[in-house]
Amino acid sequence: MPALGAGIGLRAPHYADFAAAPQPTGWLEVHSENYFGAGGRDLQMLERVRRDYPVSLHGVGLGLGSAQGWDEGHLGKLVALVDRVQPALVSEHLSWNATAEDNLNDLLPLPRTREALALLASRVQRVQDRLRRRILVENVSAYLEFAEGDFGEGEFIAELVRRTGCGVLLDVNNLYVNQMNHGTDAVAVMLAVPTASVKEIHLAGHLRTEDGLIDTHGDRVVDAVWQLYRTALDRFGPVPTLIEWDTDIPPLPVLLGEAAKARALMEDRHAVAA
Amino acid sequence: MPSLHELQARFAAALNDAKQTQPATRLFSGPRAMTLARLAIYRGNVHGNRANALAGAYPIARKIVGDEFFDAMAREYARGHRSRCGDLNEYGEYFPDFVAAFPHTADLPYLPDVVRMEWLAHRAYYAADPAPFDASALAGLPTERYGGLRPRLAGGCALLESAWPLGRIWTLHQDDYGGAFEIDLDAGPDRVLIHRPAWRVQVCSLAPGDFRFLESASCGATLDDAFEAAAAADADFDLSRALTRWIDARVIENLV
Repeated sequence: MPALGAGIGLRAPHYADFAAAPQPTGWLEVHSENYFGAGGRDLQMLERVRRDYPVSLHGVGLGLGSAQGWDEGHLGKLVALVDRVQPALVSEHLSWNATAEDNLNDLLPLPRTREALALLASRVQRVQDRLRRRILVENVSAYLEFAEGDFGEGEFIAELVRRTGCGVLLDVNNLYVNQMNHGTDAVAVMLAVPTASVKEIHLAGHLRTEDGLIDTHGDRVVDAVWQLYRTALDRFGPVPTLIEWDTDIPPLPVLLGEAAKARALMEDRHAVAA
Repeated sequence: MPSLHELQARFAAALNDAKQTQPATRLFSGPRAMTLARLAIYRGNVHGNRANALAGAYPIARKIVGDEFFDAMAREYARGHRSRCGDLNEYGEYFPDFVAAFPHTADLPYLPDVVRMEWLAHRAYYAADPAPFDASALAGLPTERYGGLRPRLAGGCALLESAWPLGRIWTLHQDDYGGAFEIDLDAGPDRVLIHRPAWRVQVCSLAPGDFRFLESASCGATLDDAFEAAAAADADFDLSRALTRWIDARVIENLV
């Protein structure tokens, strides 16, 4: 059996459920920045669930790929949180968010150029040095494709892994969103990512609009993404899998139901492989 | 292909201002109409993330002006105040200054103080947890020298004085408030303490003596000086009763 199995995000509307009774989830993930405070209810809940479940810290605001506006203070807060929580996993996004003037507070896509790769490699190295541990980097969804680049999406990730020794958080929904938005082949991306590097998988729902798919994390996982997830399990093995749900957060049983579906697929594919 | 720095500057300009999309469009592949539509998705996300952060920090102001107007205020705020931090919990720091100077809410003269109170409450929510009272400074100290000690307030404690009934406004807008929605805006000045004794932020109206006492303490005054300030506001101010009360309330954390 996989060590962590299927997990869900811990979100404030579900604090009461976790305070009332143990919940059937293998692990929990939180957004690191929501726990940067010195104290208070969120940290108290995080430390409480940490006693009963493995926890993953998932950063959304560091902006590994920002050419300017890198914030060493933000990294310092992450270091302090990692020291305090001792998480099972720590992850960041392959995106940028800041210029010298301001922070855009979003996960913006990077061109897959040698210049961007070199910057990301130095930043990932910096984070790993400060944390004294390996981090995972997540592929992001994109609504725009840059006109120029030196690498395919999978090759870009593979090269970053080779240079830094980081792991990969493979977001299967993001692969699907990008496939639908600009025709990148999700399976081809998976085939280019080294099998041993994938240490976590994200699954989520998205929003279909006339201008393209939007990565809202606000719905159930669609069938096409479950199908890609089966392919991912076949290639990468039963790696810890998270159901992400950040907008229109449903009652906890809906989330746990999605996680149970992931767990069943994981066990099914694992049994077939064994 | 421009440098990464140049590319991100153009991309950012297009997200901050819909009129600045031209230099960005050439960065991307695909038909121009689609690029513009997709840039608009990002622009919506950037605005939405920031507006959500402001709404989270200022729920009372949002209830007072309404969701739609608050969203427009968030847009105006973003125009004048750049986000400096990847942690959106820091984003609303200058909103009180913005509201104080915002002409379209001038007919709500209490709003600037309401948002000042809400930012202090937001800080208190994330402040360090109050520690149990530490009496070690008192050990072996002759009582006549207590007056030279400085009360230290727990993290997140803040004091705010207003011409408007802030304590009442806070109470009326709590989700679990079930009483009558009545308020006398001409009730006279209010002096509130914002603090977090456990997990929930509290805002309570103080008598003038207690307010001056804690306000002085928050500025680093000695017990003697804090008492002087309190007694000037209230001739009957009782120091030992105040100390007991604020230590019990986890407002005074220690004496140093």
